[in-house]
Parts: sequence; structure tokens; C-alpha cells
Amino acid sequence: MSIIEVRDVKKTYPLGKVEVHAVKGVNFSIEKGDFISIAGPSGSGKSTILNMIGLIDKPSAGEVFIEGKPTSGLSDKELTRLRHEVLGFIFQSFNLIPVLNVWENIEFPLLLGKTRVGAAEKKEWIDWLIDEVGLGDWRTHKPNELSGGQRQRVAIARALVTKPGIVLADEPTANLDSSTGEQIIELMKRINRDLNTTFIFSTHDAKIVDVADHIIRLKDGLIVENRRLNGAGSPGQVRE
Amino acid sequence: MKYIIPRIALRNLSRQKKRSFLLGGAIAFGIMIVTLINGFAGAFIQNVSENFAYLMAGHVFVQGAEKTPSGKRLSVIRDDSIIFAAVRDSGLSYEFATKTSEVSASLYFEGKRIQQTLTGLDLATNLFIRERVVLRQGSWDSIGPDSIILSEKIASRLNVQPGDRITASFQTLTGQNNIADFTLAAISIDSGIIGSVMSYVNLAYINEAIGLRSGEYMALGFMLKDLKASEAFATRLYTSMAGMGIQLFERSAKEESSTTTPFQAMIRAQRKENWEGSRYSVYTIDDIVSQAKQIVVALDGASLVILLVLFAIVMIGINNTFRMVMYERIKEIGTMRAVGVQRKEIKSLFLNEALFLALGGAVAGILLALVAMSLLSLIDFGMNTPAFMIMKNGHLSFFVPPFRAVLNIVVIAALTLLAAYFPAKAAAKMEPAVALRTAK
Repeated sequence: MSIIEVRDVKKTYPLGKVEVHAVKGVNFSIEKGDFISIAGPSGSGKSTILNMIGLIDKPSAGEVFIEGKPTSGLSDKELTRLRHEVLGFIFQSFNLIPVLNVWENIEFPLLLGKTRVGAAEKKEWIDWLIDEVGLGDWRTHKPNELSGGQRQRVAIARALVTKPGIVLADEPTANLDSSTGEQIIELMKRINRDLNTTFIFSTHDAKIVDVADHIIRLKDGLIVENRRLNGAGSPGQVRE
Repeated sequence: MKYIIPRIALRNLSRQKKRSFLLGGAIAFGIMIVTLINGFAGAFIQNVSENFAYLMAGHVFVQGAEKTPSGKRLSVIRDDSIIFAAVRDSGLSYEFATKTSEVSASLYFEGKRIQQTLTGLDLATNLFIRERVVLRQGSWDSIGPDSIILSEKIASRLNVQPGDRITASFQTLTGQNNIADFTLAAISIDSGIIGSVMSYVNLAYINEAIGLRSGEYMALGFMLKDLKASEAFATRLYTSMAGMGIQLFERSAKEESSTTTPFQAMIRAQRKENWEGSRYSVYTIDDIVSQAKQIVVALDGASLVILLVLFAIVMIGINNTFRMVMYERIKEIGTMRAVGVQRKEIKSLFLNEALFLALGGAVAGILLALVAMSLLSLIDFGMNTPAFMIMKNGHLSFFVPPFRAVLNIVVIAALTLLAAYFPAKAAAKMEPAVALRTAK
């Protein structure tokens, strides 16, 4: 079973008196453990698709299945709970909470929802994540005391803290220099390998696209390429 | 979810320090003004009661009444031994007792006329009155049997000087017109409305003039150690007197309307009652100054109106600020919603921030008010000011009832929450994708 399935999804935005067709009907599926890049130029619909997979936006038509379950009939409360339990988010502008320090920012998602983690277990897990993203010496620092790369590392740790099956990253390297961007991609790739977490990231950076083992290329709201690389999954399973 | 939303809300206040300081400062200023008014009103009634008690030389009073065969009511205590026996029997203690008679009289001097209440008491022995009534002209040493002490205002209106002879016209107890001459011995400092209508004369002299015999008088006042003990003293005295079979008027008013004070209602009720022979009424200084309580109610009402007006303005500021905050933090709202924060928690984040702001401002306002009260109460206005009736030994005094302070904080908190509610609701309703897209 695919961890994510996108079936006949369309998205239309009202823009003044006209309607913008951001996504014009796409079909694809993503397998558990994929490291997948949704690539394409600006305005091709990457972020819109990512938002719909991330359940923070709703398709105008079609259906998004998460772990085999349709999501269109869910209430806002249920969608929020599902996002918290199944998904992790990494944003282009890092989007950390400025009044919380590194440790607290990473801890934040664990304090939401009803599931409680024991204090010792939580500390051990967050400390492991902080060390994993290389911020051991920065845990009490506020986001404004960190570089862009460090902030994105915090965001990655925050996205992973609830042990989600899927992490969505919207242009995670766009605000970073190329060397830091490569380190971030390398970090995500390592976590993908070690924890078998599915990573879906949107990008228009060709260098980063190359690291992916599954590429979905978009143009004008339509898929123009859906291809598996490096033997991840079987080529015959790619569906469009 | 434990405490994370309040924690973020509290820290958010420090993000725009100047803005938080200004909004909190506006709340603090409003609370300070209102607390000062409440503090003044709180002490007002106590000061007025205490000062009245001193002017009238008593905290608890027993007044005698008698019906003539023709049905006319006379105000007289012919034999006070029964009252003192009741006081003794109930084990009540007091500082001293003052016997007074009162008559409403027209004072004449060289063609000028003025209406006054002449209060007769033993001016030679009543040291307490000597302490409280401050003389502007003349002296206590010049007091003679026919002496009268007038307030400055009355003396000025009659255009009299110490030594002048003043003629008083009044009715005797039995309703006959009579006149008596008084010598102006001294002029006292005007002590507000009551002071200016009260003139002091010797008890024996006025008693003779109105037809009371030696040893008789109209009212007996007990000065207690503490004003607060008045009600308990009056209740026990009343019970004791009733137990001795003395006829008494009801203490509580049976008829009360917005135009009468409880004391006026009590007097009216007494007039309506059918009775014969001798009767007594027992009342306290608090019963008499119940009208002052209406002033306190008015002051408290005014403070509430000020509170509401000030905070209507502050609420507009808070509402605008939180709308601005919503747009400033739109990315955070989107992020929080994306990572699993529910709508109600976003609303709670804004409301918590507003609540902390209100509580911080309110506590600061109360502290500022306490400082201001301490400083104001240091000023010595002296006893020569007409406003001394509302002061404590010539100093302004304040008392903020704790309930009132809590009520002010609750009102402010509620209004601030109301002001922040709509921006909070709008923030909570925002779709995460829209919030994140807008922030880009």
C-alpha cells in the first residue's frame, strides 16, 4: 500500500474575478521510505501539491489518501490531528517560533495533541535529534541567534520529533547558500535512510533534484515526468 | 499542551516591548485612577462617620419621645437612669456619654435672619467638643451660660462678631413660640455642610428656653472607643432596653425608597406608628450618615463609569493591536496550525496574551495607586480646611475594599479579553495554507 496516493487532484484559486488553475488534475503515489522531489519552475504547482499532501490545503477536486485513508471528508480538527500524528513539516523560511529556544522549538510538537511521552524518554529523544542535526552546543539559543542553516536543522529536528511517517519540505534549501543547502539535503537523506522516514520536498534546484530517488516534475499544474531512480521501488509501480 | 500556549503567550509580550509597555501602561493608568477613586470612597464613609461622631459627640444615640394627651410628640428623656442601667446590665463600655437637646431656630441680628439648628450641650464640661470644634475667633474661656458658637459662614451671613447679642426665635417643646438672647462667644471654622448648620449652645440654657426641666434633655450620645463597634453596641443596648420592658421604636426601617435614606425611613415609620406614653429610639452614627453612603455609591458608580470609558478607549487600542499582531504573526499561526495546533489553541494563545497584558497592567495600576495614596496621605491639609469632614485628622485617607480591587481586575480582564476576542477568533479561523502563503 502506498503511504500517499494523489488521485485526480485539481486545485483552483480565485484571484480577483478570475480563477487560477494551479493544479489541473494529477495522479501519483508515494511509497514508504521514498526520498521524493517534486520539481518544477515557479508557479508550476509544487507548493500547492505539497500543501494538499500536507493536509493544510484542500483539493478543489480529487482525493488525497494518507496511509490508504481518504482525507476529503475529515473535519479541521481531524485533519489537524492527522497532520500532527503522521506528518512533519520543513519550511523554506524555517518558520521557528521566535520566543522558544532550540530545545523548546523541537519539543513543541510533542506538547500538542493527547499523546504524552515520558519526560526521560522525551529528553533522550530530543537530545538525540539535536546531536543528529549537529546543534548540541546551541540547544538554549533562540532562533535569532542562529544562522539560516542552523535554523533549518532545528526545523528538521522539529519535523522529526513526533516520529512521523512523512516529512514534507517546501523548498528547504531556497534560503540557504549552496554548501549549506547540500548539507541540509545530505542530512535529510541520512535520516531518510536511518529512520526510513518518507521525505517529500519541492524544489527547483537541479542539483538537489538529482539526490532524490523519485522525481515528479511539474509544469503548469500538470505532471510532465514521474520517474524512480536508484532502484527505489519498482519502476512499474509509478502511476500517473 | 500543558502550559506551552500560556508560556508562548507570556513570552510574546516581550517581543514588542514598547507596544506592550504602552498598552499595559494605559491599563495601569486606568486602574490607578479608578483605584484612587475607590480608595477615596472607601475611606470617605469612615471619615465622615468618625468626624460626624466627633461633631455630634457620640457613636450611638438614644433619643426619648413622649406623646402628650393631645397626641403631640415630644422629644425628651426625662429620666436617663433606666438607659444607663441597661448599658450597665449588658456590660457595654464607652468613652463618655453626652446629653444634648436640639432645636431649630431663627437667628436674628440687626435685621438679618438665618435658620439654624441649635445643639445644646454642656460646653463647660464637654472637653471633647472643645477638641473637635476649631475656633477661628473668640475662645473657650469666654464661654458663659448664654453663649453661642457659630460657624464662620453663619457668622459672616449675620455679620456678627464675638460679644454681639443674637436673638433666637423657636418653638418650645409644647409648640409655643419663644425667644431667647445669646451672646456670641466664638466663631468656629466652617466644617462642611453639617458644621455650617449646627451652632452650639449650653444645654441648661436651651433646655430652659424650650421648656425642659433640669436634668432633662432630648438625646443621649455614647462615644465608643471604636466606630466599628457602634452597631454591636446599639444592638446590645436595644436588646437590653427591650428586656427591661422599655418601649422602643423598631430599629430597622420598614419603608425604604430611592428618595429616602434608611434613617429617614426609620423616622417616618416611627411617626406612623401608634403608641402612647414614653418611647425610645436607638440609632448609630452610621444610620445618620447613610446619606453619605449614597455619596459613596455615587463615587463608586462614577469610578465604574470612568473605568468603562477609559477601557472603551483602551479596548480599541487592544483590538487594533491584536489585529496587527495577527498579521505580524501570520507565519507563526500557519506554522503552528501545520504542526498540529488546533484552532481553539490559536485563539487561546491570543486570549492568554491579552489576559497577561491585562493582569500585568492591573497589578501595576494597583501598585501605582497604592504609592499615590501613600504620597497623598502624607500631605497635611490641617483642620482649618472646610474639607476636613472627609479627612482623617487633616490628612486624606484611602481604603480600597479588597473586593472592589478584585472586581476592577476582573472587569479589566473581561474587557481586554473581549477586545482581543475577535482578532483571536480571526486568527483561529485562518486556514494554515492561506496563512503560510500570505507570509511568503
